[in-house]
Order: sequence, then structure tokens, then C-alpha cells
Amino acid sequence: MDFNLMIEVTPLLVKAAWITIDISIRSLFFGFFIACGLVFLQSFQFAPIRWFARGYISVIRGTPYFVQLLLVFYGGPSIGLRLDPITCGVVVGAFNIAAYMSEAIRGSIESVDSGQVEASRSLGFGKVQTLVSIILPQSAALMIRSIGILAIVLIKNSSLVSIISVVELTYQAQRLIGSTYKPLEIFTLSAFMYVIIIYAVMGIIELAYRRAMRYTTL
Amino acid sequence: MEFDFTPVITYFPTLLKGVGVGSLVAVIVAFMSIVGGLLVAVISIYINKIVSWPLRFFIWLFMTTPLLLQLYFLYFGLGEWILIPAIFVGILGLGFHYMAYNADIFVATIKSVSNGQYEASRSLGFGHAATIFYIIVPQAFIRSIPQLGNNMILMVKDTSVLSAIGVAELVYASQYAISVSFRPFEFFIVIAAMYYLINIFMELGQVWLERETAYRR
Amino acid sequence: MNTERNKDEPMIEIRDVHKSFGDLEVLKGINLTVNRGKIVSIIGPSGSGKSTLLRSVNHLEVIDQGNILLDGVQVNRPDMKGLQFERHINHIRQNMGMVFQHFNLFPHLSTIDNITLAPRKLKKMPPKIARELGMELLNRVGLASKADVFPNWLSGGQKQRVAIARALAMEPKVMLFDEATSALDPELVEEVNQVMQSLAEEQMTMLIVTHEMGFARDVSDWAMFMDGGVVVEECAPQKLFSNPDQERTQNFLRKHLNS
Repeated sequence: MDFNLMIEVTPLLVKAAWITIDISIRSLFFGFFIACGLVFLQSFQFAPIRWFARGYISVIRGTPYFVQLLLVFYGGPSIGLRLDPITCGVVVGAFNIAAYMSEAIRGSIESVDSGQVEASRSLGFGKVQTLVSIILPQSAALMIRSIGILAIVLIKNSSLVSIISVVELTYQAQRLIGSTYKPLEIFTLSAFMYVIIIYAVMGIIELAYRRAMRYTTL
Repeated sequence: MEFDFTPVITYFPTLLKGVGVGSLVAVIVAFMSIVGGLLVAVISIYINKIVSWPLRFFIWLFMTTPLLLQLYFLYFGLGEWILIPAIFVGILGLGFHYMAYNADIFVATIKSVSNGQYEASRSLGFGHAATIFYIIVPQAFIRSIPQLGNNMILMVKDTSVLSAIGVAELVYASQYAISVSFRPFEFFIVIAAMYYLINIFMELGQVWLERETAYRR
Repeated sequence: MNTERNKDEPMIEIRDVHKSFGDLEVLKGINLTVNRGKIVSIIGPSGSGKSTLLRSVNHLEVIDQGNILLDGVQVNRPDMKGLQFERHINHIRQNMGMVFQHFNLFPHLSTIDNITLAPRKLKKMPPKIARELGMELLNRVGLASKADVFPNWLSGGQKQRVAIARALAMEPKVMLFDEATSALDPELVEEVNQVMQSLAEEQMTMLIVTHEMGFARDVSDWAMFMDGGVVVEECAPQKLFSNPDQERTQNFLRKHLNS
């Protein structure tokens, strides 16, 4: 192992790692709201709206993220959608993860015993109040866990943005391997950074999970 | 904006060839990752720590880093020593990646087989290894089918990433056609539709397989 | 009594067996001999060590001290190591049928395959002959129609009858029953008892750990009451169940015969 080289390239990789983190966080943030919207759409009485949401989720989950990314980045301009690479990564990442996340949110809400709804409604709570003060606190723990898993998927997915020339961690690693011919050193270093990022996320999730566990009867 | 799908039709045979290459890769990777994953799981559970520790590290490493990074590492790493075609690197990379994920499943399901099963087999006179082979592993395998199915569906979608190292699957096969026709939107829509179709068939297959094996769990 | 049964030929010999789990001594020097064709029942409260004793005979528990012999051959062999012991114990176990409280049928195999797996793989019996043997055994336990059904479709009583057939397929010299009916619904107990009764009539040597006092009294040649890792009392079942000498036995029976 060439340790001098590893020290030399570390600043470059750290800088690239920040781009990875930036894209992932923004995707997660926007993705969460889109996911909530998808869950909301699925609660409509009017069936075509529900079908739209189900169809969207099915298509997004049924096609590769990579192809979605290429479609929007290279195909977008022909329908008037011009995005710079990083924005494209964030947008596609958000719309992609939202499909998975809406399923996770729905699953955690449905995991709450239906007796809880009945008890709440019998006390005179309205639908929204029941959701906010009875259902969501109880489903929070499970929701946080599954969103955490998706956050990790998002971080790993963000590596694909390198294909559209965003200088994030994987792109930088590939470029450095190409210029230094030291694949093992560069791989070790960049893998290590992914490990740190992912473990940091896991740590945050675990803390939030424990906090949320107070409200569940699990 | 107006769409023109004629170039897609012109180059459709090229795309189908890409589907063929992708399917071939997927079948080999599925076989390699399931058989390999099972071996890794069995060895890491039953063989001594000196052997199992590196295997657990391997599972962990491949599960915590992105596929593309692993592919680049193999592509450039192996490329330094020997000249091998991209398709082999792709198969190895994707194979190792999902081998780790499958091994993780098998570790959990092997451990979920109750000790009573082990004892019943031993009491009949089967040895330790024979019990693992005839009793534990088949039961763990049946229990793994739903999650293995999920992984294989993810894996098929991930074959698209292999285009990054030059494996001539669907996305890669379209690149030339796109560069001469200037119709990326049309091509990628059709590619997405093809993946979606494959995905639907795989999900149907998974449902069928789960139903067919449920009573043996 | 049949003259064959009176041959005093020991099939299972348990000599001064000790066994501890950590600091807890569960077997404190047990002695017992089961002669050929005889049926011995062991009763006692949970935690008395009776299941541990039975499992020790099959070497599912490793005893700390003492000896266990099957048909004159020592089961526990502290002198043997690794593969040598593995071969030894596999051979020994082929001569012992074990029936578990929770059946432990193999869910991935059909009923008939559950029964024939061991003869096919361990005795290299050709599949056709193994199937004939399996069908014969299923007939004996009254389940011939369930040959190609998977265990998950069977009731508890049916599962246990298959488990008995599975143990019999290796033509064991003795049968060990570890609370074979304890996990069953009351209405399913009888069908399993009937199968065990028929084995008794065929003069199978049996060691039975049970909660079924009535069954133990009717079927056994010898009965043993264990408590706290020791044998409190052992005698003919008629005496043990109606007129035991020890107060601990009396208390135990009073509780269990009334409920």
C-alpha cells in the first residue's frame, strides 16, 4: 500500500464525499415530501387518483434508477427539461426514493392496530387529529427504521450520478484510479468514506428510533 | 416537442441483443450469487472463526459500498494484472455484490431453523454435516425464497449499471443508436418500458414460486 | 407374560449419571436398567431432570459423569474425539428411535420422505424398497393416505404418529419418548397412545418420559418417579400409582391424578 499517495488524495476524496452527502440529504428531504404526497393521493376516494399514485410507484420501482437518471438527464432537454447534473441527481434521486418511501410510510401507518383508530374516534377525535396525535406517534419508530434503510440506499444510489459527470465520491475514486493506477489504495480509501457516511446515518437513525420507541406499544 | 420513435424501431434488433446480453449476465449472476451466497453463509456459520471472519468482512464490505465503486475497483484492479473482457468483470462484480446480499439472507434463515430440527436429524443417526446438507440448508433455502426473489429483481435492474464499464447490455447497446439519432428521450423511454415488462414478469414469477413453496416452510 | 419378555437382557443401562447446566445439577447420580422388551416410564414434575435423562441416552445432552450403555455398547465415550466419536454416535443413534415433544418433522419433506430419508441415506436402501417400508410404517400408524402430504397439513396427533414411524424406519432396538403427547390437544392424545400401545404389544423396548399417568400405569413394566435430579421411588407401576411409599411421590400424584 502506498500510504503517501493515500494521504495525498484524501482531501480530494473528502471534498467529493461532501457532494455525495449533499446530494443524498437533499434527495432524502425532497423525497420525503413527495412520498407523503403519494401516501396522501392513495387515500383519495376518487379511484383514478389512487391509480395514478399506484401506477407511479409501480413504474418507478419497476425500472432501474440508472435508466431514470439517463432518461431525465439526456432525454429531458427534448421535452424542455434542462437540469444541471447535480440538480438532476437530486431530483431523480428524490422522485425515485419517494416511490419506495411512500410504501414504507404506508406500511408503518398500517402496522398500527385498527383498534387505536376506533378508540380515538370514539373519544371524539377527528380523522386528522387521530392521524396526528394517535397514529403517527405510534408508527414513528417503524417509519424511522425503514426511512433509514432507504437513506442508505440513497447514498449508494448517488454513486450513479458519477455517470453524468458529477464529481462525487465514486466519480473521484474512478478518476483517481485512472490517473494513479493504484486501485487498491483508492478503493480502500473511498470505501472507508462510504462506510463512515453510512455508519453516521445508521447512528442517527438508531438515536431517532430509540426516541420514537417511547410512543409505541411494540 | 415532437417524438419520433422510428430510430428506436430501426435499432430495435440492437436493443434486443442488449436484452440478450443482459439476460445472460443476469442468469449467470443469479446462479453464482445464490450458490455462492449459500456457501459463504454455511461456511461463515459452521466453520471456524479464522475462515468465517474474512467472509463476514466480505459480506459487510460489499453491502456497505456502492456497486459502481466495486465495479470500478474490479475493472481497474483486475485490468492491471490480466486483460479480461468487461462482461466477465461485470459478472464478477454483480455476482459478488449480490452474493454478499444473499449470504446475509441465508445466514439469517439458517439460524432461524429450530434446534429441534437439528436434534431430530441427529437422533436418526445423521452426522453434523449430513444434517446441515439434508435438513438445515433445504429448509433455510425455502424460507429464503421471498427475499432472494426481491434481491434478484433488484439485481436485474442493476445490470443496467454494467454499461458504465462497457458491458454490452441494453443501456450500452443503445448508446451508439442515441448518438447517431439524437433521440435519447425516445430510446430511454423504450428501455425503461422493456425493464418494466421484465420486472412485471419477474414479480409474477416470484408470487408463483412463493405460493408453490409456502406449504414446505 | 410372554416368556420372551422375561429374558433379563439389559438393553439400556444407565449407571451413576451426573449432569449439570452451569451451577445447576440436574442429574445427581441416576441408575436405571431397561431390559429387552420392557417398557419403563419416568414421571416427575417439570425440572425434575427426567427429560434431560432421556436426552442423555440419545447423547443430545452430554453427561458429566457415569455411563450409558445401549445393548452392551457404551454410548458416551469421553475417550473418543472428533470424527471418531461422530461415527460412533451416529451408529449408536441409528439403533435408537427418538420421539420429541414437538414432533420435529422435517417440513420441507413429504410424510413418506420424512420416514424414508434416513433408511435411504444412512442404510443406502434403494428408493423403491424404502418407499415400501415407509408405506408399511404409515399403515401401522394409520396414515397410509397421507404419504405424499407435507407435515404442515397434518394435525398434531398425525404429526406425532409420522414422527414415530420415522423413528421406527431405522428398525431401532429401543424407542425413546420425550413427552410425546404433551404438546397435543387432549382429543389427539389417544391416537398417539394407541400407536405406542401397539408398539408395546410388539415388545419394543421403550423408555418413556410422560405426563400421562393413566397411560404410564397401563402400559409400563416399571415406573420411576424423579424429582430434583434424583430417583425418589421406582417400582412396579401398579404400586407406584396406587400405593407409593414416598411422601413426595404421593404429593405429586395427588396433584396430577386429580387434574
